[in-house]
Amino acid sequence: MEAWRALIGPLGFAAKSLRRRGFHSYLAFIGLTLTVATTTFLLLLGQDLATRLGIDSSMRSTFGISWLIFAYLVLALGLVSIIGLLSSSYLVSSMIDQRMRDIGVIKAAGAIPRRLLSYVTFEAFAVIFSSCLVGALSALLVYASWSSPSVSLFKQVGLVPNAGASVLIVVPLTSFLLCYVVASVRVRRIVGSSSVNAISKQLSNLDLKSLGKPFRIKRFGSAFNLATRNVSRDRGFNRTLLSVGICIFLSMVVLSGALVSADTSTSYVVRAMPPHVMIVANINIYNQYVTLGTSFSRTAPVPSINYVNESYLITPQNASAFRAIPGVETVDTRLITMSSITGFVKAHFASNQDTGENINTQIIPEVDTGSAQALIVGIDPSNAIGDWYTSDGFLHSNDAQYTMIAGDSLVGNIVQMPLNLSQVSALGYRYDVKSALVDPLNAGQVLYAPVETLQKSLGLTGFNVLLLKVNDDQTVLFAVSQLASSFGLVLGSQDPILNSNLTFLNDTWSHIFLVPIVTLALTCGILLSYLATNFSRRFNDYVILKVLGANAWYRLRLLMWEAWGALAISILIAIPLAWGISIFLLVPDPNLSVGDLELSTLVSLSALSVVSLASATIYSRRLGLTTVKDLKP
Amino acid sequence: MDSQDEEIEVRAPGFAVDLVRVSKEYILNGKPVKALASITLNVKEGEVAAIVGPSGAGKTTVLNLIAGLEKPSEGDVRVLGSDLAVSNEHSLSAFRSANIGFIFQSYNLVSTLTAEENVELMMELAGWSDSGRNEKLTAELISMVGLTDRAQHLPAQLSGGEQQRVAIARAMANDPALILADEPTGNLDLKTGLEIVKLLLRLKGEKGKTLVVTTHDDRIVEMADVIYRLENGSLESVDRPTRVRS
Repeated sequence: MEAWRALIGPLGFAAKSLRRRGFHSYLAFIGLTLTVATTTFLLLLGQDLATRLGIDSSMRSTFGISWLIFAYLVLALGLVSIIGLLSSSYLVSSMIDQRMRDIGVIKAAGAIPRRLLSYVTFEAFAVIFSSCLVGALSALLVYASWSSPSVSLFKQVGLVPNAGASVLIVVPLTSFLLCYVVASVRVRRIVGSSSVNAISKQLSNLDLKSLGKPFRIKRFGSAFNLATRNVSRDRGFNRTLLSVGICIFLSMVVLSGALVSADTSTSYVVRAMPPHVMIVANINIYNQYVTLGTSFSRTAPVPSINYVNESYLITPQNASAFRAIPGVETVDTRLITMSSITGFVKAHFASNQDTGENINTQIIPEVDTGSAQALIVGIDPSNAIGDWYTSDGFLHSNDAQYTMIAGDSLVGNIVQMPLNLSQVSALGYRYDVKSALVDPLNAGQVLYAPVETLQKSLGLTGFNVLLLKVNDDQTVLFAVSQLASSFGLVLGSQDPILNSNLTFLNDTWSHIFLVPIVTLALTCGILLSYLATNFSRRFNDYVILKVLGANAWYRLRLLMWEAWGALAISILIAIPLAWGISIFLLVPDPNLSVGDLELSTLVSLSALSVVSLASATIYSRRLGLTTVKDLKP
Repeated sequence: MDSQDEEIEVRAPGFAVDLVRVSKEYILNGKPVKALASITLNVKEGEVAAIVGPSGAGKTTVLNLIAGLEKPSEGDVRVLGSDLAVSNEHSLSAFRSANIGFIFQSYNLVSTLTAEENVELMMELAGWSDSGRNEKLTAELISMVGLTDRAQHLPAQLSGGEQQRVAIARAMANDPALILADEPTGNLDLKTGLEIVKLLLRLKGEKGKTLVVTTHDDRIVEMADVIYRLENGSLESVDRPTRVRS
């Protein structure tokens, strides 16, 4: 006698029931295990990425870009948690519903409801517990292999103690508790309902409103028309549709969010440092400018130099000489210097309304928000090369003399929100902060002020950096080069700085893209489980068709239409909605390349379609193995 | 295309059903179980054959073999002149949808289709693509079984007797030469069962169909032209009762 046969009580009931249900038991177990494992792995991965990227980029990047990356990670992991929990509870609910008839029969046979409840709940407990345990262990194994020293990010950052320990406990435990509660409630409801209802549950699954003249398209054939009737009338299938639709929608937000965030962060950098711009400066300032420009992507320290050394300065006349070269479109004259700055929140009135009609007005005194070293860039607003992403616009010629734009890495500490109350003291003057911008220069520790104001503060008249936008003509470049040499200056391109920063960004996003890819895999797994559950539930109808003479091709088409048709409806609603949300709501001033949009839509559509068609094919083959004896009364 | 190719040639038969020394063995829990042991069974065109015997005698297995739903372990199975033992799955499906009507003890209607859609489905499976003609024929069949006012109901909204009447209409839908009925009154009360027997009599009398019925119901046995009695997978007796026909 096999060991499981000797078991008695709830354990024996669960063991026998699960063993006899065979395929359906495995299906529930695999579906749930897959969901728990993938959700746990994704959250482990996300937490690990956030930790490692946080450490890795603490000396690099800028506050704005980091915020974009980490906000995306938080959003993605939040959505993944919702997908995982939604899917787990749906799968458990389906698993219990499949047992509804058996529960009704056992109850009708005279089982004491309390005992029946404990037996069936224990059976569900066994599946849920083993799924969560195996899921957590599988996630740990996959995560451990991902964290191997061969992975570049791991190598760069090294061991992160305790990373993921809490996730490994919290996710499977939450999944277990949620699934257990869902199972208990479902079982309690079924056991509490009439046995007759439980036994004849067929009608409760059908939507009687959709009866009547059915929707038919003759060209698509009988299998299509039968599939539309099945899908439209089967409430269970409609519930699946809704659940799958939500999962696809959320995973598409994760995927499209990653693309939009990646493209947007790239565009922020490109807008601040446009390509095909030439830098003209003294060799020392030029090297310093390159270091400042690449401090976004490198951890090398910025050396101290005297930026305003007289030999580094370019006179206005010399700058005009560059402007006079035909083919030079813009000359952005800059005076840069490093200085200690101090932030303030101006004294202001604060009004707050208490419970009555009284309005209390308080005077909030000026607050010192701290000091830091920052790069101060004097710039001519009318000739600025750069189209920074700003919160409230860039400098204008008609702005007050002591106005500054703060780099994003100063926001939140030296510069406080709201910006109109923020002031910065630099070089002995107080500046109002007009706006904030995302700028890779000096990793966002930068302030932009009108160049005349800075010159006045420093008692200078010239500039130390010129940015030139020239046309592509080589003779123009040659002329610029000649002129620069004649002034003892060097000419270089801004492109290597930009490329270094973009490489760093691409590298960072390439790690993060694991999250949407695995999320898409999770959704494919969920879709497979959902379709398998539904096909299992309706299997008797398919066997009837086979017995009546529906051939293998007809059966395959029927299953494909049911699987893909349901998916198509979900996709039609979920994907455009997800893109809309990602593009319009997720990030400020978004940017997305059409190629990325097309590619991601194609990849997700293909992946989901392959899963739905594969599940139809698997069930069609399974149907081929059935005989009339598999028909249930 | 929905039309299922008829790959099995239906030749002019001597017998509508001709089983010669047919055996069937199943493997259950790793052990072989003999369901049928060398039985020979013939049914002429237009005859009603009743297969009787206790549960587990092999009655349903005989029907499955005749329908081509299972293949014999040994012996020949010729139905409407075609050798089903050597046909492939695709040909058997086409053969069933074109030539055989089924009536099951537990009705086995497609749960998501209404009564009339269940009937019409059989026509579609047989490759009849003229929807106007199909609808007309469906209405006639539904009317024949007395369910015109229940045509738009789902199986779950119908009583057992009504479901069985829909199953009979469905069995007629593809105008089959052979109807197989597996204990068609097994789940019904006496009165409802009588209605089903009357309908089966109509199939025999008016439509001239060949019927093979497994049953415990004496009323069906009484109307049979030939009665095969099975016991533990073996043929115990064959009776051809002589009766005065009105």
